[in-house]
Amino acid sequence: MKKTNRILTILIFIFLYIPMAVLIVASFNTGKDITNFEGFTLNQYAELFRDEDLLRLLGNSVLIALLATGVSVAFGTVAAVGIHSLKPKMRKVVMSLTNIPMTNPDIVTGVSLSLLFVFVGSGMLGQRESLNFWTLLIAHVTFGLPYVILNVMPKLQQMDGSLTDAAMDLGCTPVQAFFKVILYEILPGIVSGGIMTFTMSLDDFVISYFVTGSQFVTLPVEIYTYTKKPIQNKVYAMFTLLFLLIFVLMVAMNLLQLRAGRKRETMRSVSRGGIIFRRCVAGLVAACLLVGCGFLIFGNKQERITLNVKNWGMNMADGSDGTLDIVKAFEEKYPHIKVNMSYYESNEALYSQLSNGGITVDVIIPSDYMIDRMIQSNMLLELNFDNIENFKYVDEQFKNPAYDPENKYSVPYTWGTVGILYNTKHVDEADLTGWDLLWNEDYAGKILMIDNSRDAFGIAQYLLGYSINTTDKAELDACAQKLAEQKPLVQQYVMDQIYTIMENEEAWIAPYYAGDCMLMMEENEDLAFFLPQEQGFNLFTDAMCIPTCCQEKEAAELFINFLTDPEISGANMDYICYGSPISAAREHMEDYLATSEIVYPSEEVLAKGTAYAYLSEEITRYVEGLYQEATKLNAFG
Amino acid sequence: MSKELIRLRDLTMEFDGERILDSINLYINDHEFLTLLGPSGCGKTTTLRIIGGFLNPTSGTVTFDGEIINDVPPYKRQINTVFQRYALFPHLNVFDNIAFGLRVAKLPAEEVTERVNRMLEVVSLKGYGHRHINSLSGGQQQRVAIARALVNEPKVLLLDEPLGALDLRLRKDMQIELKRIQQAMGITFVYVTHDQEEALSMSDTVVVMDKGRIQQIGKPEDIYNEPKNAFVADFIGESNILDGVMLSDYKVRFFGRTFQCVDKGFAPNESVDVVIRPEDIDIVAPEEGHLVGVVTSVTFKGLNYDIIVEFKGFKWLIQTTDYHGEGATIGIRLNPEDIHIMHKSEYSGMFGDYSSYSAEYDELTEDAEDEEE
Repeated sequence: MKKTNRILTILIFIFLYIPMAVLIVASFNTGKDITNFEGFTLNQYAELFRDEDLLRLLGNSVLIALLATGVSVAFGTVAAVGIHSLKPKMRKVVMSLTNIPMTNPDIVTGVSLSLLFVFVGSGMLGQRESLNFWTLLIAHVTFGLPYVILNVMPKLQQMDGSLTDAAMDLGCTPVQAFFKVILYEILPGIVSGGIMTFTMSLDDFVISYFVTGSQFVTLPVEIYTYTKKPIQNKVYAMFTLLFLLIFVLMVAMNLLQLRAGRKRETMRSVSRGGIIFRRCVAGLVAACLLVGCGFLIFGNKQERITLNVKNWGMNMADGSDGTLDIVKAFEEKYPHIKVNMSYYESNEALYSQLSNGGITVDVIIPSDYMIDRMIQSNMLLELNFDNIENFKYVDEQFKNPAYDPENKYSVPYTWGTVGILYNTKHVDEADLTGWDLLWNEDYAGKILMIDNSRDAFGIAQYLLGYSINTTDKAELDACAQKLAEQKPLVQQYVMDQIYTIMENEEAWIAPYYAGDCMLMMEENEDLAFFLPQEQGFNLFTDAMCIPTCCQEKEAAELFINFLTDPEISGANMDYICYGSPISAAREHMEDYLATSEIVYPSEEVLAKGTAYAYLSEEITRYVEGLYQEATKLNAFG
Repeated sequence: MSKELIRLRDLTMEFDGERILDSINLYINDHEFLTLLGPSGCGKTTTLRIIGGFLNPTSGTVTFDGEIINDVPPYKRQINTVFQRYALFPHLNVFDNIAFGLRVAKLPAEEVTERVNRMLEVVSLKGYGHRHINSLSGGQQQRVAIARALVNEPKVLLLDEPLGALDLRLRKDMQIELKRIQQAMGITFVYVTHDQEEALSMSDTVVVMDKGRIQQIGKPEDIYNEPKNAFVADFIGESNILDGVMLSDYKVRFFGRTFQCVDKGFAPNESVDVVIRPEDIDIVAPEEGHLVGVVTSVTFKGLNYDIIVEFKGFKWLIQTTDYHGEGATIGIRLNPEDIHIMHKSEYSGMFGDYSSYSAEYDELTEDAEDEEE
């Protein structure tokens, strides 16, 4: 029996710690692939410390965690003392009230906080950007407080109540009594509550996600937008360091408690070590808080303008793989501007983020039909083309497009096609007959489907021979029916996750944007791109716009102008592998891209492509409803 | 006569509608050793905490040195307390515990050191300054607690059952020690205990309390010899309490006989409680006795035997150094000074009957209580 217990304990430990072990091993792996260990390296760590963005994000997370811990500890301790002094009945009621936020689902807390902040910030105070550093801090304090209270309360209850009386008896005011006596008694509770708050705050995603503005983003929230590419190895290195930090903190705390316990039982002579250690911990926490506050004040004193750009993931050259770091180049040219990038997954997601409000965004790069919709929803500002003189380089065919007929709101960024990415090892060339490949039962379970209503319906419409801009509900119903038929064959509905799945050959067929397909083909040679010319395909344009929540319009126009420079545009396309709406840019692109038929299909091929137009709000909703029904809901049916 | 230092006037205390103290009136003189004595829940600790400033009375006043101090917080009163479980600060060593009050008062370091060291000598803990308080025995902790309070040179020291946690031997030693310290330093002690022996042996004045009311105030001898009612008579020592009738001054009738006594001032034929202390009863041969009874049980107590004797269906406790076996018929004599007469009170009939007294019976009830817990 004893032996079984021991084995079970060991098994549980293995179960608990093996994920961390894998992560640590991965952080030292020379190979790019997690699946085989190719050799030991510390490069990931070196790279981590060279990556300013990651370190800044980590800094943000640590700063928020430290401040949230400090505030929670201070207020939580005071609250616990207050609650403790209540009558037992009342105390019980208050304690269960403070415990509720802890058991409340994070997502509920997050959404309600977000609502509150936007309501107070935008609605009552008239702030343009109501979600910011402070809202994030308040949110973290909200979930940290109950943990501190929960940890401090038992210490107060264990404490001999007459200690307070004794201190007051000896001349202490109640405040002095707290700092001279009670604090020492409840310190272990404060420390463990603080450490809990710190670790919870450091890795909180769900609540943070809802209360994060564009200015101040923490690491977990940013990591979430990394779904497009497999997480880089330097991130493993960072997580390893984080894990070790928490691990050491926890071990130190436990040792401290163990020593304190032993001391109480068998102390024979004086040992000031424990007290000194406690004072050190208290000092350390105080120092961290001071540094944090200093950092905050210092950090807030920005003389530079912050330009908030919201872009698709992986949609601007960032200096990796020998490409130009566009943001860096821009900031070097205009040192008074600091670019702050954040990301969205789909046009629809961008639309809802902007209409929810509470954020500041200066530049967005949505697609054609969405620009049309945003114009009609009064969500875009007219551009001042005096500040965008590079607009002259834009090819005539991209000027005055259908989605912005007078060309008042947008400057084209890229254009491209939607086709099918497939794996040549597993897919028979003979099956490449058209969009019906996505309905081919031979590949059931190996097909990915694009996860947005517009592109999905577009594919069905090409297949069924309807216009992609049809508003005929009977036709739309037929498309929905078609998509529902496809559902049993589909492995997953994806957007950015497509990268990992296709590169790892977990699926073989997926419709996606040509430029992204090029990127995946660079990673896996067996991938190829197929454009169903006969049935037709979507030709889309992404264009730069300024939303109404913009605060730095002039800087935004400078940025748009910068990106429209042929040389910059060309360098940018090298990275994102799309077509540039500026012919002159082709000269600055690498040959294989400039001549690629995927990036720049021939005129006759292009003639078969069609562009999405914005359908009415009613039809958009109708399509969205049909799409959800066809792809999501029946998963439970 | 020393001057009056503390006076409690009509002190009433209520918690959640329950009356804990019921118009307490009491004065405490300077340099006096006054003990609040009573069973648990009698209100003695509450009274002490009100004097210390830890509780605010529902009504009534506390006067200190002629000034009403109801609203003065504990840290501004010239009073210090020795708490029931000492309440020493676990994060400080012996020296720092004792120095606590002086340091809060911001006295110069040399003076603190000097006064603490002197106090360590007073409580016989010289050389223990660096020791951690958790490494001390109960008695040593007790002395640290006393030193910590006394080092501030308070006018009054409040002691809340300070010896309750010590074993019997140590308790006796500490009683003498406390009395010595009190006399040496000339400080007023207000002492709370439920141990009547402790109260009698240490105090100048004993205040007997029950149910939130003062039952009797007096010198230990007076309290013992002249209890005011059945509660005091029973709580202080052992007493046989009988129903009697005061025929006239110095004449009381009970058990169908008239006895001479030393009490007077009762109404003719007033019903009274008659107290006879077990150790005052003289055992004589049956034919010489005022009363004749049969021994029903004998318990050896070391110094004496406790015997239960039945007189006409009523059982008395008698303490005697001579052995009388169970079933023996004995006679007793009562001298006038052995008989104490009390007015009837709410406690009449509740105490002083040993009908149910037996060693076996005690054990049985204890077992039963254990099972219930």
